[in-house]
Amino acid sequence: MTGESIEKAIVPPDHLPIWDDPSEALYKRVTIDPDKCDGCKLCVVVCPANILELYGPKDNLKARLKADATGCMSCNNCYAVCAGQGVFATEPYDFAGFYEQKRIGEFAYPRKF
Amino acid sequence: MSDVLEHEDLEDLECELDAAAAKAGRTQRRRTAIHDIEPGADWNDVEHAILTRRSIRKFKGRQVPEHMIRRILEMGRFAPSQGNCQPWSFVVVRDKAMIAEMEQYCVAVCKQMTATIDYTNYPLGSEQRAAILANTQKLNREAPNSFHPVPMTAIKSIANGRFAVFHKAPTVILILADKRGVGVPDVDIGITGTNMVLTAQSLGLGTCWVGFSRLLSSNADLLQRLCVAPPFEIAEAISVGYPIGNPTQQTISRQTHEIVWWEGGKKQILY
Repeated sequence: MTGESIEKAIVPPDHLPIWDDPSEALYKRVTIDPDKCDGCKLCVVVCPANILELYGPKDNLKARLKADATGCMSCNNCYAVCAGQGVFATEPYDFAGFYEQKRIGEFAYPRKF
Repeated sequence: MSDVLEHEDLEDLECELDAAAAKAGRTQRRRTAIHDIEPGADWNDVEHAILTRRSIRKFKGRQVPEHMIRRILEMGRFAPSQGNCQPWSFVVVRDKAMIAEMEQYCVAVCKQMTATIDYTNYPLGSEQRAAILANTQKLNREAPNSFHPVPMTAIKSIANGRFAVFHKAPTVILILADKRGVGVPDVDIGITGTNMVLTAQSLGLGTCWVGFSRLLSSNADLLQRLCVAPPFEIAEAISVGYPIGNPTQQTISRQTHEIVWWEGGKKQILY
């Protein structure tokens, strides 16, 4: 599994984000399971933030996050197209300060009531 | 009977009318299925369309047949609106050259914007960086929604040519808002657009909302050719086409939100 956990910065609520500081914008919350990835490239194609890429030898390509991956909005388009369910945004994106996400809970699949 | 009908009265009235209709041999009025839903029942067609809808940003080159677009627009026409004012008008662009021109203009605007707001173009500690950061923060204060970090990233991607504004879709539907609409016309635009997006989804088409279409509002020449004139303004656009891959093969998870639930004199917090 690849995926990075970043501690969120503690900043005052009126603080404006410094967009290139990952601790103020928690973007990198995409998890990729290389065992389930068959290198079909669909997730790379559909990602609106263009943060995924393929690596490895030609006969064994795998998807991974780009080194400068920012811009994931946890839309889970990658998961929706992935036949092997090997890639998904594990947590909602979040920011520090003014744009901090409030009154939200865990990710959940559609629930039946 | 009082002027204000209580809920029970209406239910009684409904039963009386139904009984009278049955007696006279008339067909029963059509009832909504809501009464027949058991807890935990399967998704119905509307719920299924909502749950499988994805924002599609990669389309096949094939054009969507005209009758399907007309069908989608028809559902937009039957959306609820404040005071039934229907403050919308549609512009359908299916012309490749026209969409390319719209795209080109939006990219040019985004390039201009990044030049004046993207301080990351300059090294840390430089004078230019400080000057542009000050400008960004000022704009950010004035329009915190437009300069939210997500559109900021998108503006950069569009300027770098990594991200197509209209997603190279074969058909683009511009939704114009009548600024004289009752109440809040932009809300009605959202409702009519949602009707159209869900209809497209149920027809096997892919759609994506394009908020950046508002950038076109500063191009008088394009506006004239697209027949956008006051009191109408471009509010939103929807790209329509056949999606690449099978993005509806699985539902995805979304974050849950706090729900304040007041009932029986007490308050609960649900998710």
